[in-house]
Amino acid sequence: MKKVVEGSHAVSEAVRLARVDVISAYPITPQTHIVELLSEYCSDGTLNARFLRVESEHSAMAALIGAASAGVRTFTATSSQGLALMHELLHWAAGARLPIVMAEVNRALAPGWNIWTEQTDSLAQRDTGWIQLYCEDAQEALDTTLQAFRLAETVHLPVMVVLDAFFLSHTYEPVDIPEPEEADRFLPPFQPAFCLDTENPAAFNQLAPPNAYMEMRRSMQDAMESALDVLDAIEDDYERLFGRRYGAVEAVHCDDADIILVTSGTITSTSRLVLRQLREKGEKVGLVKMKAFRPFPFEALRIHTAHAKKLAVIDRNFSFGAGGIFAQEIRSALCNLARRPLVFGYVAGLGGRDVTTDVIEDIYWRTKTSAHPEAESIWIGLHQPAPAA
Amino acid sequence: MTQQAISQTVSPPLIPRSSTTTESNKTGSWRFLKPRYDEKTAPCSAACPAGEDIARVEMLVAQGLFKEAWETILQENPFPAVCGRVCFHPCERACNRGEFDDPIAIHTLERFVADTAMRYDLQADIARRPVQGPRIAVVGSGPSGLAAAYFLARLGYTCDVFESMGEPGGVLRWGIPPYRLPVHVLEWEIDRIRSLGVEIHCNHRVSADFLRQARDRYQAVFIGCGHHRNVDLGIPGEDLDGVAEGLPFLEQVRAGNLPDLSGRVAVLGGGNTAVDVSRCALRLGAKPVIVYRRRRQDMPAFEHEIAMALEEGVELMELWTPLEITPHPDGYRLVLQRMAVASQEGPRAQVRPAAGQTQELVVSKVFKAIGNAPEESWMQPPEGDARTLRLANTALVELHGGPLVVYGGDLAALEKSVTHAVASGKEAAMALDTYCQQGWDAVESRISQCRVGPGPSLSMEMYLGGDRCRRNPHVVVFQEINTDYFLYAPRLAQPRLLKEERVRDFSEIDLKISAALAIREAERCFNCGVCNQCDNCRLFCPDLAVCRDDNPQGRRIDYDYCKGCGVCVVECPRNAMALE
Amino acid sequence: MELNVLDRDYMCSGHVGCPGCGAAIAMRFLLKALGEKTMMVIPACCWSIIAGPYPQSTLKVPVLHTAFETGGAVASGLRAALDTKGDTETTVVTWAGDGGTFDIGFQALSGAVERNEDFIYVCYDNEAYMNTGVQRSSSTPYGAWTTTTPGQEWKRLRKKNIVEALVAHRIPYAATASIAFPEDLVRKVQKAKSIKGSRFLHIYASCPTGWRIPSEMSIKIARMAVQTNIFPLYEVENGVRYTINYMPKGYLVREYFKLQGRFKHLTDDDLEQIQEMVNEDWELLLRKAGVAMSAAGTVA
Repeated sequence: MKKVVEGSHAVSEAVRLARVDVISAYPITPQTHIVELLSEYCSDGTLNARFLRVESEHSAMAALIGAASAGVRTFTATSSQGLALMHELLHWAAGARLPIVMAEVNRALAPGWNIWTEQTDSLAQRDTGWIQLYCEDAQEALDTTLQAFRLAETVHLPVMVVLDAFFLSHTYEPVDIPEPEEADRFLPPFQPAFCLDTENPAAFNQLAPPNAYMEMRRSMQDAMESALDVLDAIEDDYERLFGRRYGAVEAVHCDDADIILVTSGTITSTSRLVLRQLREKGEKVGLVKMKAFRPFPFEALRIHTAHAKKLAVIDRNFSFGAGGIFAQEIRSALCNLARRPLVFGYVAGLGGRDVTTDVIEDIYWRTKTSAHPEAESIWIGLHQPAPAA
Repeated sequence: MTQQAISQTVSPPLIPRSSTTTESNKTGSWRFLKPRYDEKTAPCSAACPAGEDIARVEMLVAQGLFKEAWETILQENPFPAVCGRVCFHPCERACNRGEFDDPIAIHTLERFVADTAMRYDLQADIARRPVQGPRIAVVGSGPSGLAAAYFLARLGYTCDVFESMGEPGGVLRWGIPPYRLPVHVLEWEIDRIRSLGVEIHCNHRVSADFLRQARDRYQAVFIGCGHHRNVDLGIPGEDLDGVAEGLPFLEQVRAGNLPDLSGRVAVLGGGNTAVDVSRCALRLGAKPVIVYRRRRQDMPAFEHEIAMALEEGVELMELWTPLEITPHPDGYRLVLQRMAVASQEGPRAQVRPAAGQTQELVVSKVFKAIGNAPEESWMQPPEGDARTLRLANTALVELHGGPLVVYGGDLAALEKSVTHAVASGKEAAMALDTYCQQGWDAVESRISQCRVGPGPSLSMEMYLGGDRCRRNPHVVVFQEINTDYFLYAPRLAQPRLLKEERVRDFSEIDLKISAALAIREAERCFNCGVCNQCDNCRLFCPDLAVCRDDNPQGRRIDYDYCKGCGVCVVECPRNAMALE
Repeated sequence: MELNVLDRDYMCSGHVGCPGCGAAIAMRFLLKALGEKTMMVIPACCWSIIAGPYPQSTLKVPVLHTAFETGGAVASGLRAALDTKGDTETTVVTWAGDGGTFDIGFQALSGAVERNEDFIYVCYDNEAYMNTGVQRSSSTPYGAWTTTTPGQEWKRLRKKNIVEALVAHRIPYAATASIAFPEDLVRKVQKAKSIKGSRFLHIYASCPTGWRIPSEMSIKIARMAVQTNIFPLYEVENGVRYTINYMPKGYLVREYFKLQGRFKHLTDDDLEQIQEMVNEDWELLLRKAGVAMSAAGTVA
């Protein structure tokens, strides 16, 4: 059934369809719409779940750790400061191998207070052991959320479904919402590999001395490494049932491209427009959309970019003292290849500043006209000239 | 790909999920100090001349195990029903609970236990050896003689008891008034001694020749004839007709031959006999007055007996002594000399006559009760060169050409009391047995191994190698009790006949108590040094290293895990453990 | 104590608690009272270590070890999950130290009990961060030495009154208990088990290592804390109904303090001042319980 819904509610609908058992959340703009609708669904019986209105994001994640340890399906949503507050428990949830699904609406971190979109909050959690999937539009947000449960429960790792603030979370789009029976066919009830059980008592997560800890970390990495294949298989199923698939990396016109724009989130949509216009002008330009950031899709990225001369990576995020985070990771993914494109790192749209078609086109031409990147990170759209990074 | 197929491509998660017990960690290796069960000696047991295991008796009473409690007493004393009535109970003075609130009513509980056994005619199941060859003669069937026979019988000897009177029991039968000890109680106890195979030959007076002849028939002879000869006052008029001796009067009362008495009656003396005589006289219609040369606190009679006598109406004249007795139309005229305290040194005050102070006392009858001595000289240990071994309550003599003779009871005991007589009989039995088995030289050391605490009380259970052997002789003092585990609770008051009821006849004064009261009283007991299975050690162990076990202790410490923290030792309310 | 409780244990030997550990004793009693249908949530505390390293567990019930400040929240989520599974039989218990309760875990605890989450929160209180080497917490009592209140910098601030803070949330049941009073402790745990909603137990658990006392005094000291009114035994129902379970007989706090190395620097004047504080707290409690002062053994 097609419905015009905002991006936040697309996520809410997916959570409803996943028949989640326990939801726990704390209010933060711009995530609130997601849990508000879920709260309504819980209270009117549309969704048979316990909704814990906890006193902090930290407790929201803690509560889900408790719930998921008992072997039920769990969900929360947060943003920015809230995600930062959860940080410790993101490690915990992943280390405990709990298939928690979280919608994370990208928002810039204070100070100063800024509720607009930026990816630094989620990318700063890249080492926590969470799978991170970045969405471009409301439909993808719904589809990815539904898939996230199956992915998490298969590889025993938590999944973060990431959405841009406002551009996605608060934007209404037509979305194809699956019928519950169809969703059930895709997502069977959760069968935990382990859970707290008084019949079979065990202690979870206690002291792991040096002789045991490292193998556990390796087991997490093994799961991460399998996650892309698993996601692929899940998408096969999804496509069969619903006719849609996304891929960990999406490549557009990359086969003959000299310059490839690399984007994530809603900037991808804008870039698609720029791409079409440039192609019409005969420019050999391509587009790579990074959906999966963790696990990092090394293989797909290399295949799609190997023939290009230059990559223009647009980062709506920044790692101080280093650079745009996607650009860094892409550089490191390619550095051992014998033939590799030059990687231009562009930083744009921080704190919700618009990244328009003009900005993206400007990035393309700058890339084309530069023999070499003028800096590690090229900041686009600053009101005053910035010193070279 | 199906979900199942997808799942199979993923390796199972490795997480810190643990269900192996920690029992492979032998935390006992951390231990510096080692707790262990170390049962000690309760002060009451050490103070009991018969060495009764009182702390254990009270534990069993508190648990409602009355038969077991009775049998525990019988290990050490053949007369619980008698001693529960007539013992002067030094145990209660020693009771640690006395420093907390009031001592346990041990005396009353002993009687309760015995009376319960009597009421249900219980048969005791007590340790004894199989009967062996040697025969032993016992002269006198008073408490020491019967106790000696009882313990010897349990040690496997065949005993002949010779009694000059028509019925056995000695002082218990003839010297203690029925209101203190009803005769059926005594007979019940004696019957049990007989049931061990002890032959009591009554109306069989033994002479000095007996010792010489005994050699052929007996391995040894125990002499416990007591003190039956009266001691003279040494004043004019004491031989007057009607100036009577105390003990024969008590015998008369016991025999049911009750003389009519009236008016004032003088009883001369301050011992238990004097008090008993005066109380009997009161019951026969007289107004008795005890004339005693020292003060009340110096009287050898038991204080509680004096108190009851006074309560009943007996008059006490302290610090007066008779100078002469003369006939008087109303009976007798006594001239009494006032005495004054000369010195407080020693256990009793020294007195001297106070010059010029005399008074006259006219009475209808006079009883002399100033003390007794053995009837015949052979009844006492001989002076001279015979090989002699003096123990606490007996004397062993190897007579030339005769059997081994053991003098016991009043003849040799530390104090003249029924319980000391029992102690004497027990000591004699141990000494005789050791002498027969290992010879003269072994006697002292063997007996010293059976001491309850520092002695001189002895334990037959220890002699027979029972559980009590494991006890540490250390006597528990009050400071070693963890009083946090005890609440103040009033001591059981012994119910008694009203004094108006008492003086009417010779009915027993002390009344029975209910089982509920007995249990409540026994629960007050600290059970000093004796494990009463309270389980604090097991309950508080942080390492679950105290386990139930089938051993006599009921539990054991698992040193594989015990870290030696010592909590069990400190939380043992009764000092039945040690940390070393 | 009832024999069936005495004889059942859900804890094994071989755990790595210090000799005489009050927290180990407290856990034993708790599980005796609760039985096998119990799930434990244990945030960072001594028990994170005592329970044994992977792959061991000294407890015979499921245990969820969790982060320091999450005791209230994790239990909330666990309870919610069991509810959705239809498991109403299992009791969820958070077992936290004083740091995890008074300090870092206070927010999650307050949040959980405000929501009246259906679980028992037990704080076993050893009055400092013992597992990390005796650092002061807001539970550390006035007068105490710790490694972060050394020398003349000994703690000159009062211990937070955690029970009253919880009572202020009007939870169905809040109570104090002591390892030295096992029957009272077991009764309270069983009572808590029978009640729905948030229940809080504050268990006094002595720490020989951190308090500088001989290990064998562990229970004795805990008992003295009650006898001196330093740690009164009481329970509060629905935030208003106070019941004092133990009326002390007027022991002086001095006796309790002088046995412990952590207080050895205190002067007579300090001790007098502390006695006054204890009296004041006790009188306040009596007023709340509606007990006449004269009947209740305040030490002059």
